[in-house]
Amino acid sequence: MNAKVDEQNPDLVTITVDGVEMQVPKGSMIIEATDAADIDVPRFCYHKKLSIAASCRMCLVETEIGGRPAPKPMPACATPVADGMKVFTNSPKALAAQRGVMEFLLINHPLDCPVCDQGGECELQDLAMGYGRSVSRFTEGKRIFDDENLGPLIDSEMTRCIHCTRCVRFLQEVGGQKELAGIGRGEHTMITTYVREGIKSELSGNVIDLCPVGALVSKPFHYRARAWELLSHAAIAPHDSVGSNLWLHHRRGEVMRSVPRENESINEVWISDRDRFSYTAMYSEERLQRPLIKRDGQWAEVDWEEALTFAVSGLRRVLEADGGEALGTLVSPTATLEEMHLLVKLVRGLGSDNIDHRLRRGDFRDGERAPMLGLPIAALENLDKALVIGSDLRSELPMLNHRLRKASLKGGQVSFLNPREFELNFDAMQLAAAPQRLVRELALVAQAVADASGKALPDAVNALAGGESASEEHHVLASRLVGGERAAVLVGALAEAHPDGSVLRALAAVIAELAGATYGDLPSAANSVGGWIAGTLPRQGGLNARAMLEQPRKAYVLFNVEPEDDCWNSAAATAAVESADFVVALTPFVSDRAKAYADVLLPIGTFGETSGTYVNLEGRWQSFGGIAAPVGEARPAWRVLRVLGNLFALEGFDYEESGEVLAELPKAALESERPAWQDVALELQDEGLVRVAGAPIYAVDALVRRSQPLQDMPQSAPAAVHVGSAVAEALGLAEGEQARVRQGRAEVVLPVVVDDAVPAGTVWIPAALAGARGLGAMVGGITVERA
Amino acid sequence: MKRESIAEKVLTPEMRAEIDHWISKYPPERKQSAVIPALHVCQDANGGWLAREHLDAVAEYLEMAPATVYEVANFYSMFDLEPVGRHKVNICTNISCMLRGSQEIVEHVEKKLGIRLGETTPDNRITLKIEEECLAACVGAPMMVVDGHYYTDLTTEKVDEILDKLE
Amino acid sequence: MQAIRNFFKTFLLWELLRGMMVTGRYLVRKKFTIEYPEEKAPQSHRFRGLHALRRYPNGEERCIACKLCEAVCPALAITIDSAPREDGTRRTTRYEIDLFKCIYCGFCEESCPVDSIVETRVHEYFMEQRGDNIFTKPQLLAMGDKYEQQIAADRAADAPYR
Repeated sequence: MNAKVDEQNPDLVTITVDGVEMQVPKGSMIIEATDAADIDVPRFCYHKKLSIAASCRMCLVETEIGGRPAPKPMPACATPVADGMKVFTNSPKALAAQRGVMEFLLINHPLDCPVCDQGGECELQDLAMGYGRSVSRFTEGKRIFDDENLGPLIDSEMTRCIHCTRCVRFLQEVGGQKELAGIGRGEHTMITTYVREGIKSELSGNVIDLCPVGALVSKPFHYRARAWELLSHAAIAPHDSVGSNLWLHHRRGEVMRSVPRENESINEVWISDRDRFSYTAMYSEERLQRPLIKRDGQWAEVDWEEALTFAVSGLRRVLEADGGEALGTLVSPTATLEEMHLLVKLVRGLGSDNIDHRLRRGDFRDGERAPMLGLPIAALENLDKALVIGSDLRSELPMLNHRLRKASLKGGQVSFLNPREFELNFDAMQLAAAPQRLVRELALVAQAVADASGKALPDAVNALAGGESASEEHHVLASRLVGGERAAVLVGALAEAHPDGSVLRALAAVIAELAGATYGDLPSAANSVGGWIAGTLPRQGGLNARAMLEQPRKAYVLFNVEPEDDCWNSAAATAAVESADFVVALTPFVSDRAKAYADVLLPIGTFGETSGTYVNLEGRWQSFGGIAAPVGEARPAWRVLRVLGNLFALEGFDYEESGEVLAELPKAALESERPAWQDVALELQDEGLVRVAGAPIYAVDALVRRSQPLQDMPQSAPAAVHVGSAVAEALGLAEGEQARVRQGRAEVVLPVVVDDAVPAGTVWIPAALAGARGLGAMVGGITVERA
Repeated sequence: MKRESIAEKVLTPEMRAEIDHWISKYPPERKQSAVIPALHVCQDANGGWLAREHLDAVAEYLEMAPATVYEVANFYSMFDLEPVGRHKVNICTNISCMLRGSQEIVEHVEKKLGIRLGETTPDNRITLKIEEECLAACVGAPMMVVDGHYYTDLTTEKVDEILDKLE
Repeated sequence: MQAIRNFFKTFLLWELLRGMMVTGRYLVRKKFTIEYPEEKAPQSHRFRGLHALRRYPNGEERCIACKLCEAVCPALAITIDSAPREDGTRRTTRYEIDLFKCIYCGFCEESCPVDSIVETRVHEYFMEQRGDNIFTKPQLLAMGDKYEQQIAADRAADAPYR
């Protein structure tokens, strides 16, 4: 296994590689030294982010210590350096060993390169050019395997496998669940899930990159293009606030795949499946190809000019009759900084201040405070104590979950306080409490933390505990937070959706203060933070996202928003847009739902088709270019907004490129500040059942919802009513039965799932799924009965 | 999510006691060292073979990844993952035995029982196992192992005698 | 002396007769000219004419969309799109050769691992309309079907030298 090197103060030893003397840290492996010095040593199984297996033997080199040559060639990946060691990476002996290994590796390899997707970017192919014989001496039959179905993302061709076990090690060490195993022995070893249920990890796509041969390849990309035809462009992942760096590979203007771009401080060398496979939605059948307008109740395809004029005159009509107050603008938090800025300019220019991008927020009482992580992403893995409040981190921010997992593996203590328990892939304490109890629980945790840190607790916090005192569990949780050198309290999306989110945030800040920890928010979407910079917020007394749907407006501008799925209160959102006189939707997708409420549908480019900038949760600005040709007549949204600005005769809408828009924004870094304490009455006072919802990992935004491979994953189960067995018994419900759920006037019928991860008093119904459309608040009172 | 414990369902108290005995031989953080004895316990209790539930139960009981237990159970030829007959017959076919004529023994037994290596007689009496490795009794080659007992210096007559005695 | 010789040469049209002798010789010799298109010059079995996509004897198309021909083509005349066919095999969904770009170098044929794309002996073709220069997959396959016998015979004749 990996020898650990003390990076701060490495003892250095001197080795000589191919006659070049170099200083390398003691305990490192030869291959690390040669990699650092750009000396090429062939390898298959070694990967800098994984443990050392030394199973491929391709990296054999000749070594010599103290003038005595080692009797056999040594694997460079598993031989530690020693002072005075001499290494020969391409001496005749080393080369003969490497050639010998290559001959063995090719014995069972089918050499079906012409039909193999890896052809052209295959490590085996590359190295076989250098070390392989032109003619095989092996005349016997090759072993073959039946392939198993690894799910909708990964295609397997195990006959090509060379048993490097990178995939097995990745899923065990990084994915957190050993979903693949090497079954059998010798040349009959087969990499398989054995149980044949597919791979479920949210990071599983990385095994495609790791596989040095074509044994594991991407299913959506299967047989579609060759590596040499693709042009790669840098891009930023649009689905979470981490802002993973990507390479988008495109051919003739069509995005063919997305692969990670190494950035040690953000996504290391990995990306989540959501970022890897969402590109498939760009070519979904629901893409809006041409502008559509509703004239006399009939939808008509028109050209851009007519559509824009129609939109402008429709909005003018409302504005002239009822003023800017009557207009509501909902902005997707995945919009780029440029788009947000132009929207703000446009909306303010029209005399309206009802603009918001915080679509899934439940509580706006703590006003303006940008949600920031408060520490670098890379620092998360060095935390020794962490408390995560209200977050399904694995779904919301897979790459941050990975960092916290690393922290936990290094001995850090991670705890969760959530409205339900989640399936984690690392050791952590989970405290689950019904949403209506969440504030009280957090106050009790604060009490316990105050006890543990020996500091006084503000009276206001004590009052929130409602006369209860901290239990054993709370004290255990407090001990897992207090006394750390590097501690953090992180507040996630479920807390954001909570109607008393401001109280939760304030309490979390108090706890962070008491524990000497960093306070951090976990905003979900790619540009949640950017919204604060561009100012897609009602800063002049306008209505926020929740208010402008609960108090319906006459007209709406929806920017890449599907109100029924993207908003905190699906029922209110649907009702508001349906009753509005005029709705302009700028959207890449068209659906029957959109046709029901919108009056104009303007096709805009998706990620990959638009240039722009995202600000991630550290406050890092990352710009990217438009790569693919927009589908149909879709246009990058900033151009559409620019023309809308011109048509409204507003000033300052004369941009030639998106960079000019960006230049208008203040470049100053956002300060991460702790939420201030404030006295507010609790909104969630329900005694009965309370619904709580998060957006499932593959339903967070319009693009992901249309990525078929991701929709076929087990994480994309249809909406259901998840209740604990006690609640189920009390209601007379059994697994699989249908239940009628009501939130206010909203009512739907859903199947029941009995799941003891959901605490008493709580009903978990995920948001943003077809079945949950039309339900009320993501966190709010609900009644459930047998259907 | 709290799932039903498969270890509780599959492992009887006696089996657990025996596995605990093996676990106690290793340091507490190395519970997984007991995986092979634990699998043997399950195999013996289940008429000579392991179903997936046994593997899952052992994985849960020893706090291991199920995939690792699958790897172990598939690697060693002494674990059977399909139902077997009442008696397991392993004829060594490795090099020493091969030189001393194990191939004839195998052919004779196959003919006698009417099954091939890796198959079980229709009356469920004998499973003829495929031997993957040397059975470490080259001194008495050719040899075979029947239900854990070693029989060396085989001849076809001797094999007949041994096999006929099996119920 | 020279002057007298020159005088008689000029007088007796000697050079003219010498010249006419060449003409006369060729007049009675066997003709080189081929009366194309009634007559045709012999072709090598390595002739590189119009392209074709071949099939296996069982009717299955040979091409597996490896795209080596597309990659090797120095004139960038070949365009291929590929996707898994219903039975899961790797197949082209588009195979086009731009005959205006093609320089008939034969690299595509040489790079093909399954002897699918070949250049036939056909060299008499024309385009009537803009766009006809794009030779599509069905046309290529039809070419292959039509000339398979000749193509196979030519490959067989050339096999010893490959």
